[in-house]
Amino acid sequence: MIIMNKEPFFQRDGVRTLMASLISILIGMLSGVIVIVIVGLTNDSISTGGIWDGIRMVFLGVFNKGRDAATGALTFGFNPAFMGNMLFRAMPLILTGLSVAVAYKTGLFNIGAPGQYLAGTCATLFLALSIPTSSIPAWMVWLIAFLGGMLAGALWGCIPGLLKSLLNINEVIACIMTNWLAACLVTWFFDMSSLKNVLEGTKTGYIYKTSTVIHDVIVDGVRTVAGANVPEGATVLATRGGVATSRMGLDTVFRGSQVNGGIVIAILLAVLFYIIMEKTTLGYQLKACGSNRYAAKYAGIQDRRNIVLSMAMAGAMAGTAGSLYALSGNTEFFWTTYQSLPAVGFTGIAVALLAVNNPIGVIFSGIFMSYLNINGQQLTNLTAYNEYITDVIIAVIVYLSAFSLIIKTWLGRKAKKRKAAGVSADRKGEVRG
Amino acid sequence: MENQQTKNPEYVIEMIHITKEFPGIIANDDITLQLKKGEIHALLGENGAGKSTLMSVLFGLYQPEKGEIRKNGQVVKISSPNDATALNIGMVHQHFKLIDVFTVLDNIILGAEDTRAGFLSRKAAREKVKALSDRYGLKVDLDAKVEDITVGMQQRVEILKMLYRDNDILIFDEPTAVLTPQEIDELMQIMKNLAAEGKSILFISHKLNEIMEVSDRITVLRKGKYIGTVNTADTDKQALSNMMVGRPVQLVVEKEEAHPGEVVLDVEHFTVPSRLHHRNAVNDISFQVREGEIVCIAGIDGNGQTDFIYGLTGLEKVSGGRALICGQDVTHLSVKKRGKNLSHIPEDRHKHGLVLDFTLEQNMVLERFIEPEFQHGCFIRFNAIRAYTEKLIEQFDVRSGQGPVTRVRAMSGGNQQKAIVARELDRDKKLIIAVQPTRGLDVGAIENIHRMLVEQRDAGKAVLLVSLELEEVMSLSDRILVMYEGEIVGELNPKETNVQELGLYMTGAKRQNRQEGSDHHE
Repeated sequence: MIIMNKEPFFQRDGVRTLMASLISILIGMLSGVIVIVIVGLTNDSISTGGIWDGIRMVFLGVFNKGRDAATGALTFGFNPAFMGNMLFRAMPLILTGLSVAVAYKTGLFNIGAPGQYLAGTCATLFLALSIPTSSIPAWMVWLIAFLGGMLAGALWGCIPGLLKSLLNINEVIACIMTNWLAACLVTWFFDMSSLKNVLEGTKTGYIYKTSTVIHDVIVDGVRTVAGANVPEGATVLATRGGVATSRMGLDTVFRGSQVNGGIVIAILLAVLFYIIMEKTTLGYQLKACGSNRYAAKYAGIQDRRNIVLSMAMAGAMAGTAGSLYALSGNTEFFWTTYQSLPAVGFTGIAVALLAVNNPIGVIFSGIFMSYLNINGQQLTNLTAYNEYITDVIIAVIVYLSAFSLIIKTWLGRKAKKRKAAGVSADRKGEVRG
Repeated sequence: MENQQTKNPEYVIEMIHITKEFPGIIANDDITLQLKKGEIHALLGENGAGKSTLMSVLFGLYQPEKGEIRKNGQVVKISSPNDATALNIGMVHQHFKLIDVFTVLDNIILGAEDTRAGFLSRKAAREKVKALSDRYGLKVDLDAKVEDITVGMQQRVEILKMLYRDNDILIFDEPTAVLTPQEIDELMQIMKNLAAEGKSILFISHKLNEIMEVSDRITVLRKGKYIGTVNTADTDKQALSNMMVGRPVQLVVEKEEAHPGEVVLDVEHFTVPSRLHHRNAVNDISFQVREGEIVCIAGIDGNGQTDFIYGLTGLEKVSGGRALICGQDVTHLSVKKRGKNLSHIPEDRHKHGLVLDFTLEQNMVLERFIEPEFQHGCFIRFNAIRAYTEKLIEQFDVRSGQGPVTRVRAMSGGNQQKAIVARELDRDKKLIIAVQPTRGLDVGAIENIHRMLVEQRDAGKAVLLVSLELEEVMSLSDRILVMYEGEIVGELNPKETNVQELGLYMTGAKRQNRQEGSDHHE
């Protein structure tokens, strides 16, 4: 009784969504090229070759192998260090992107990822640096610190969720406020703590590295802190730090990069969220609440609980981003955060937008964002241009992503027109009911 | 053959061979509609027959693929509602487009204001509106705010809006859906006056009584196709419904005597606070519904029926009294726990009944997805849901473009409602609450839903019906409770009463002392 016509490939909803995102990217990249050309033409110090270098670098910065020593020309090929760094930087972006996307599926705009990220970082560093590795194995400390960061992010995400579900306070406002609360609290906690860096006193600001092994020692009756080299005659009271994410052999593939197992965890979490959202009753409930809270309530779905749960899951992802970044062992955390929020939290919004809130899409858009990031860095290092050009590209892409629905509709109409021209005769025969 | 006629200037508006396609559907397939000057022309058809699409084409909201529109014999192109207004075509929408906090006068002149030196000048406008209102018998209070006046008066404001703009082709989109019987009579008179004054009226409806009473000619559409145009004098209700549905339709609900059994729903001193004002929306009401009977709550919209159902089904908090379903006190239970013995066809299918962005199959298990039949260890059993949906589609004749995977938003209102009815009746619960289950549906669908509700009754279910349609109340129910201002003011037997008496109770002009809880009703 119902004629089921399988839609052609390019008419399918998913394909059109993907095409819309790809078109946004393409237009963004082209805008970058235009900016490079205009800057090059109006700047006397940049030659035609310089413009060409800039264009190539925007697209292929990750694959560049530096300038040839003899000719000075750019050379391209597989560069394990840049490739690895791209994956490393994609890790927190995928997770914050996931955070925004998951909340959005439940109809919530999680602009609180920066605060949740800080909460995760803070909890992880406190746990990783204060639990003595002399009494508990390092891998267990890692696990505790990782889960602690995730939990802290989740709890921080719960706050706007609870305010929304119990008092109907707009989650965007609550998120902005919890962001700054987190920023100030984190500064305060570190300021009070004994975890301030005393090892690298030459650096401005306080920095911490989880990979650094620290010994609490007593030298000549005075209690002090020492680095890896314990002074002669000192008594070691406890050993802390030295807790970093396993590299899972990735460092042998991407030699000379910062990459570690965090990217694997991020991708696994994205796949997990895809499964939760698409295949389980939990995802069904969350999406029902997001699409129509009243209908969900009518059907006996606990809408209030689901809003809190969704924000907690979103917070957990942003917290995990902070946690894994801090646990890399080769990263630094400037704990005086009260003046600025971590940009990676906000970039998560762009990542989710570009991926149309699809958890699997977030993996690719996260990697794409960090690919642009590396390209920008190489643009600064090796050409006359600087990395802000890639910021222009990202801005254009984010802007166009917001228009992706229009692009999608346009794609649909185009396909329909083509079809109408070809098979208009057949359509007459279409039967309803 | 019709092409010869079209040159005839006796028609003010002609829509000739209009074809409008949407993806997968031909909404209007070669439809011709000709409106004579000074006639009331009814456009009749089931939901999804293409009435709204055709009117949207006339109003400039859609562009047809084929066909042309003529005004007074001249071909015109209407590419936006502004073009339609310029051609003096006006429309009263089913849902009024009024600003609640503005006065009646301000609403009428909005968008066509006179100004003097940049300041609003209401004086000339007031004179003109007054003259129009006297001439056509459209009684309105020009200085009242729209939020304070009755729905019937709001509709008269909409009509005055069209007249103020000198429209001479008036489209009424299902104008009686929201009115009381008395207001419907008034509207019919107004429409006759307008036609007598030379206005041409297009009247969209699927209520045969009204069409028979007021129209001169009737054009019938079915599934996007033009079925025919007939003179009202030459036809009758049965013939029209057969044309509309394409098969003989039963207009009267056929049902045996009810045999009420055990009490299923027992409501005692039920009180629900209002979200709008400090008084109670539902004030201390008590009644029972037994298995094997259909009890109907009748009343004018906004007299507490909605709040009562919200309180009973758990969507709103209750401030007093209690409700027992199958002996279990459900007054403070969660919606989910109440669902054990209760299925609910909600009043607002878009707000509560459906998740519009979900597919049909996702909506079919909205309450049941958690049952083992549809999930295993929290993983959704997609095949089971697909099979279940296909079964319901087959059984309840739910029509959609792509079957189970159709986005519900893309379905017609009638089929959306059928999907909800299918879902709720198939849950097989002891108590069925149906709130305006046939609102906006056509004769064929109404017949089906009525038949199904009677079947449920005969199967020993208790049915609580809330309806604003008097005809439905009279023909379907075994007992009628009339609600007025949050209280039950009368209990009537449909066999012993008539529409007029019911109307008096509904408007508060008459009131009974009821036995149950009578000490609280003076």
